Amino acid sequence: MNQLADISAQIPAAIGVGLRAPHVREVETTRPAIGWLEVHAENYLGGGPSLVRLEALRRDYPLSLHGVGLSLGTATGLDPGYLERFKDLIDRTEPFLVSDHLSWSVADGIYLNDLLPLPYTEETLDIVAKNVAAAQHVFGRRIQVENPSRYLQFRHSTIPEPQFLAEISRRTGCGILLDVNNIFVSCSNFDLDADVYLDALSQSPIDEIHLAGHSRVSRGGAEILIDDHASIVSEPVWRLYAKALDRFGLVPTLVEWDKDLPPFDTLLGEARAAERIAETWMSEHACAV
Amino acid sequence: MLALSELQTAFRRALLEEDAPASRALGLEISAGDLTVAERLAVYRNNVFASLTDALKETFPVICRLVDERFFSYAVHEFIASHPPQRPALMEYGAAFPDFLGEFPPCREIVYLADVARFEWLMNLAANAAEAEPASPECLAGIAPDDAVRLIFRLHPSYFYLASPWPIARIWRANRADARGEATIDLASGGVRLEVSRQGGDVVFRELDEPAFAFRQALAAGSPLGEALERALAIDSDFPAADALTALFAEGAVTAASLSSSGTEPTP
Repeated sequence: MNQLADISAQIPAAIGVGLRAPHVREVETTRPAIGWLEVHAENYLGGGPSLVRLEALRRDYPLSLHGVGLSLGTATGLDPGYLERFKDLIDRTEPFLVSDHLSWSVADGIYLNDLLPLPYTEETLDIVAKNVAAAQHVFGRRIQVENPSRYLQFRHSTIPEPQFLAEISRRTGCGILLDVNNIFVSCSNFDLDADVYLDALSQSPIDEIHLAGHSRVSRGGAEILIDDHASIVSEPVWRLYAKALDRFGLVPTLVEWDKDLPPFDTLLGEARAAERIAETWMSEHACAV
Repeated sequence: MLALSELQTAFRRALLEEDAPASRALGLEISAGDLTVAERLAVYRNNVFASLTDALKETFPVICRLVDERFFSYAVHEFIASHPPQRPALMEYGAAFPDFLGEFPPCREIVYLADVARFEWLMNLAANAAEAEPASPECLAGIAPDDAVRLIFRLHPSYFYLASPWPIARIWRANRADARGEATIDLASGGVRLEVSRQGGDVVFRELDEPAFAFRQALAAGSPLGEALERALAIDSDFPAADALTALFAEGAVTAASLSSSGTEPTP
C-alpha cells in the first residue's frame, strides 16, 4: 500500500482551524487566510447539503477528517458498516489527514459519545493495533491516532501512555496526532511530567498537533482539569506547544473550539497566535537546518 | 482484573444505567487519588449525557421549548439511558424519541407532543438527506399509456409525509425560537397532513389536502402510480391526476421512474 508511505510531503506545515457548523457561512463568504480546515467526520456521513458545502470549501483549503466515533479501543473490533461510510467520505473529500483517538466509545453495539479511557496493557496494545490496522486497510492509507485527555487511570495499566502510542505507531505504521492540551490536562490530573511525555515520543512520527482550551473545576475539594474546548488556549499550553515544536519540528497544527463557540474571528485570533509561535520557532531554527 | 471487553461492558452499564454491580466491578479497576472513583466516573457520565442532550436539543428545539428546558433535560436523560445511540452519527440519533415521549407518563397529557416530535424528526431527516438530481418528465416519453399505472417514482430523499389529528404545524410555528405565532391554539381546531422537503438547501413544509396527501404519500412509499391514483380518487373522484403528476416533476420531487413488473415490484 503505497498510500501508507510517508505523507509528510503532502501536508501543509501550517496552522488550521476546526470548522464547526455555525462558522461555515462566514468561512464560505470571507475565505479567511488559514492553512487548512479540519472537520468532525461524523457530521458529514449523511451526504446531504452540508457535505456539498464542505466539498466546495475543499477546493480552496486542504482538509483533515477527524473522527470521534471509530472507537479504536473497542475490544470486539470496529464496525464494518461505519468504516465503509467513513471510507466513502474520504473518497469524496480527499483529506490530507484522517485521525481518531486512543480511546473507545462503543461497547456492545452502543455508542457513548465520549472518548473513554483504556487500560494500557499488552492486551489493549494488541486490540488497538489490530483495530488501527483494520481501519488503515479499509481506508487504504495511514491514519493518525490522538492522545486523549484523561480523568481516570486503571490500576492494571503497565505501559505509560506515550510509550503505548509509540508502540501502536511502530506496529501499524500509523502517525500520531499530538494533542498538546490533552497532554497538559492528563499530566496535571495525574501529576505527570509533560516534558517526559514529549521525550518518550521523540522517535515517533508526529503528523499533526491539536491545541484547544480547557477548564479547571472543583470536585469534592480536589481540582481537576476538563478538556472542554470551550475557551482560548491557556498560557501553559502555548508554552508546551513551543516545546513540542523544539522536539518535533514544524507540524501542521490545529486550533479547535467546540463548546460555547465564539465569533469566528476569535478562533482565527487563536490560529494567528499559533502562527506567531511557529514563526518564532522557524526564525530561531532557520540557520540550524 | 477484567478483560477489556468485560471492562467496557461494565463501564457502559455503570455510565448509562448506574448499575451497582457493574460500578463496583469497575471501581476495583480504577485508581482513586485526589478524586473518588465515583467522581472520576461522573466526569465521563456527564460528558456522555450532556453531549447527547445537546444533540437532541438541536434536533428537537420546539419540543424543548414546549416542555421547558429543565423537563426536557429530565425526559432526555431517561431516553438516553433507555435508548442510547447505536452509531456515532448524532444527526441520526433520536428516531425513537417521539414514540418515547408518547409513552412517557409525565407528559401523557400533552397529547400532541409526540406528533410535534415526529414533525421535528422528519425535518431533521430532510435537512440531512442525501442530494439527488431531479428527473425530467421526458423520462416518461417511452412509456405506453397502458403501462402508466405501473410507474413507480423515486422521490427526492428529503420528502416525508406526516398526518396528525392535532394542529401540529401551528403549534410548531408558535413555539419556534423566533415565534410570531398565535398565543393560544384550539386543539380541537383540527388535524393536518404535512409534506416536509428540502428546497434550495432549506427545509420547508406545507399542508396538503386529503387526496393530494394520499397520492404523494403512496408514491413516496413506493406504490405504483395506478394505486396512488386510486387512493386519491377514492377520496375525491375529481382528483386532477395529470396536474398532480406535472406538479411533482415541476418541483423536482421525482428523481427516477421505473415500471413495476407485477404492479408491486419495481424493475431495476
